Amino acid sequence: MLKDKGQVTFEDKWPAMRPIVLKLLKQETVTQTEWQDLFGSVHSVCLWDERGPYKLRDALQQDIMMYIKQAQNRVLAQREDQALLKAYIAEWGKFFTQCNYLPTPFRQLENSINNVSKVSSSNTSSTQKKNNNNNIEDSLVRKLMLDSWNQSIFMDIKQRLQDSAMKLVQAERNGESFDSQLVIGVRESYVNLCSNSVDKLQIYRENFEAAYMQATEEFYKLKASEQLLANGVQSYMKYADQRLKEEEARAHRYLEPGSGSVAALTQCCEKVLIGEHLPTLLAESAPLIKAGETEKLQLMFRLLDRVPEGVTPILRDLEAHIVSAGLADMVASADIITSDSEKYVERLLDLFKRFSSLAKDAFLDDPRFLTARDKAYKCVVNDTTVFKLELPSSALIRGSKGTAPESKCPELLANYCDMLLRKTPLSKRLTSEQIESRLRDVLLVLKYIENKDVFMRYHKAHLTRRLILDSSADSEKEEDMVEWLREVGMPADYVNKLARMFQDIKVSEDLNTQFRTDTTRHDAINIKILNAGAWARGSERVTVSLPLELEDYIPEVEEFYKKKHSGRKLQWYHHMSNGTITFANSVGRFDLDVTTFQMAVLFAWNQRPMEKISYENLRLATELPDPELRRTLWSLVAFPKLKRQLLCHEPVVQNPKDFTENTTFWVNQEFALVKNGKPQRRGKINLIGRLQLSTERSQIEDNHSIVQLRILRTQEAIIKILKMRKRITNTALQSELVEILKNMFLPSKKMIKEQLEWLIEHKYMRRDDEDINTFIYMA
Amino acid sequence: MSGEDCDAFDRGDNDGQKPDKMFTLKKWNAVAMWSWDVECDTCAICRVQVMDACLRCQGESKKDSYGKQDCVVVWGECNHSFHFCCMSLWVKQNNRCPLCQQEWSIQRMGK
Ligand SMILES: [Zn+2]
Ligand SMILES: [Zn+2]
Ligand SMILES: [Zn+2]
Repeated sequence: MLKDKGQVTFEDKWPAMRPIVLKLLKQETVTQTEWQDLFGSVHSVCLWDERGPYKLRDALQQDIMMYIKQAQNRVLAQREDQALLKAYIAEWGKFFTQCNYLPTPFRQLENSINNVSKVSSSNTSSTQKKNNNNNIEDSLVRKLMLDSWNQSIFMDIKQRLQDSAMKLVQAERNGESFDSQLVIGVRESYVNLCSNSVDKLQIYRENFEAAYMQATEEFYKLKASEQLLANGVQSYMKYADQRLKEEEARAHRYLEPGSGSVAALTQCCEKVLIGEHLPTLLAESAPLIKAGETEKLQLMFRLLDRVPEGVTPILRDLEAHIVSAGLADMVASADIITSDSEKYVERLLDLFKRFSSLAKDAFLDDPRFLTARDKAYKCVVNDTTVFKLELPSSALIRGSKGTAPESKCPELLANYCDMLLRKTPLSKRLTSEQIESRLRDVLLVLKYIENKDVFMRYHKAHLTRRLILDSSADSEKEEDMVEWLREVGMPADYVNKLARMFQDIKVSEDLNTQFRTDTTRHDAINIKILNAGAWARGSERVTVSLPLELEDYIPEVEEFYKKKHSGRKLQWYHHMSNGTITFANSVGRFDLDVTTFQMAVLFAWNQRPMEKISYENLRLATELPDPELRRTLWSLVAFPKLKRQLLCHEPVVQNPKDFTENTTFWVNQEFALVKNGKPQRRGKINLIGRLQLSTERSQIEDNHSIVQLRILRTQEAIIKILKMRKRITNTALQSELVEILKNMFLPSKKMIKEQLEWLIEHKYMRRDDEDINTFIYMA
Repeated sequence: MSGEDCDAFDRGDNDGQKPDKMFTLKKWNAVAMWSWDVECDTCAICRVQVMDACLRCQGESKKDSYGKQDCVVVWGECNHSFHFCCMSLWVKQNNRCPLCQQEWSIQRMGK
């Protein structure tokens, strides 16, 4: 066999091989023998002719190129776009099929060329094995075919191909129909043409996808502006919405699946249709919000949420709307709501519901919009325009130099809560479920209140009144409310104190029962002896000189208590006590529920029933402080419910402030309760009203003690933080402080600063010598 | 205001019998507050007001038994007073009054 070496040459074999190759290229039928001969010839050339494989490859390439040139001529003969695409797709289809056939007989060639290059680059046998095991994708001849196609026909006409394809897409956009297979065919040719095994989509992406994007962008750049100009923003939004959906569907049809093209195209459309017109679109947001156009807003939200920063300005618009609409609403009904806590809370809830349904209907309860609603609603709730509660600036309180005015909301909210929990016309009208749901509403608004400490103070005062006057509508609901307050995060020590009051009232009831069994003659007296720590811290007593009828009881109660307990001292809180007296005059007999102060005033007439007594002398008789006496007298000369008042006075004044030392008072002997215009001879009336426990002085004190309590809480919190951190910067301290105190109130910068100074001065802490903005704990 | 509280009635009880006084007491609901009879409101050991439970009792009671008045006050012979709980722990370490350093002996207990 050796002698045969060099005898078979490429030149010998090729003339016979070539016609078969050409037939294959042209997709003409080849016989079984021809097909097998080709295998054999390739084998011989590779085996005997050292230069054979390269010569074979070059000859093959020449014929491929020649074939492609002919195909190109056939394609380019088509002048019309659709015909051109059709011709191209047909030629490509044929050629691509051959890419899978022609390489097969030449496998031997590939092995020879690869082996030489691999061996010369001293590759391991394992890579050779891998190369021998080659699949059609990696085939050298296939690559030769594809690259040739790419470099010749494709390079020459790809621009026309793309342009034609894009023209078709554009025609479709304009509503004309055509054979979508043409565009898909072109795309497929781009995808399959690529011989780059690392990035198979390279040709597709760089050409087809890029052209598709560009065409789309150009189309909508023009269309968007036209539409906006011609039809305005609202109809444009519908157009854009519809077009975005359409383009997404189209992209799924014409762009390569799994390539990320659809997402890129969608993004491109969003940019052109929305992003580039953002200011124009956003200009409609505020008016739409104001008009409550939820459907249009929903569309706007859906559209603008597609582009970066599209929604942020809408959030701002919503926030601004809630604040201004909310405040306008409050101001418009200021007259009613500042004096009627039920109306006030109802109005606030109404606003909350209104804004919440806006957030739901227009913005689908998107968390960002709910946050905006919360932020704005908080502004409304805490706004001070409608009414202002001046906390006193007082030099008496250490470290304090006065505070800014605050919203009366916490106070009104507490009042409303009281109306629901006390026996009132309102609470009698409502079912238990209704009361519960309204209390839940209170808790909802409470969440938004900055100065929860003010609420707590009023709520506690009301609870005190209800428990002392036994005027709770439902004691179970009372205790539920305490737990609900705990659930919404009111400070534990505050909630515990409320709970303790209930406990204490029960202890006191037991004590009263014992007292009444121990001392039989005291049917007329009930005692409440309460824990001062839970009930009365910081509140001052108002003294009164008791009528003898009452004073008699005091030593007995004290004696009884001393036997029960030791180490305790008792203080009488007569401004909290009350009772029932019978009043007899010429008309009849009436039972009056009165405060102990009212009692003290009225009993002054027992010794001198028909006399006129001067203000001055009543003061001597009762020893009540001036403001208390004025208020008490006023309740007896001008009780709103009464047609005939209990006391008469002279000279007549319109305001308790106008009583003078010499104003005289006498018992109205014509007093009667009037029913249906007729005076009654019997009856019962409650004259306590809102008098009890709300002395003028203690209201001022309430505000004082709120300030004082805030100072104390701030100082405690600062010390707590410093104890933990040892050293801390001013900024970090401020933010930790707000975190600790936020469930009670928002400390002002000014107050924090004052308390820091105070604590430094009193050596609880010091500033760092190196950095005055760092504080150091001093144990 | 409504007329709910104004409950007029006309029953002929005791009609002819005039009471000797114009105003007579029928019922008195008297309110008093108790507190420990101490010189200093704050327990020097736990720094909590003696009217409140000491820190330990507050921590233990939490939800169920607040308001219980188990955490009583104790007075020493020196007249200084503390939470009984606080003092009983204190004397285990140091049998002197934290405030005056006199030897601690109980004068009386609160009840
Ligand atoms: Zn203690
Ligand atoms: Zn204790
Ligand atoms: Zn001592």
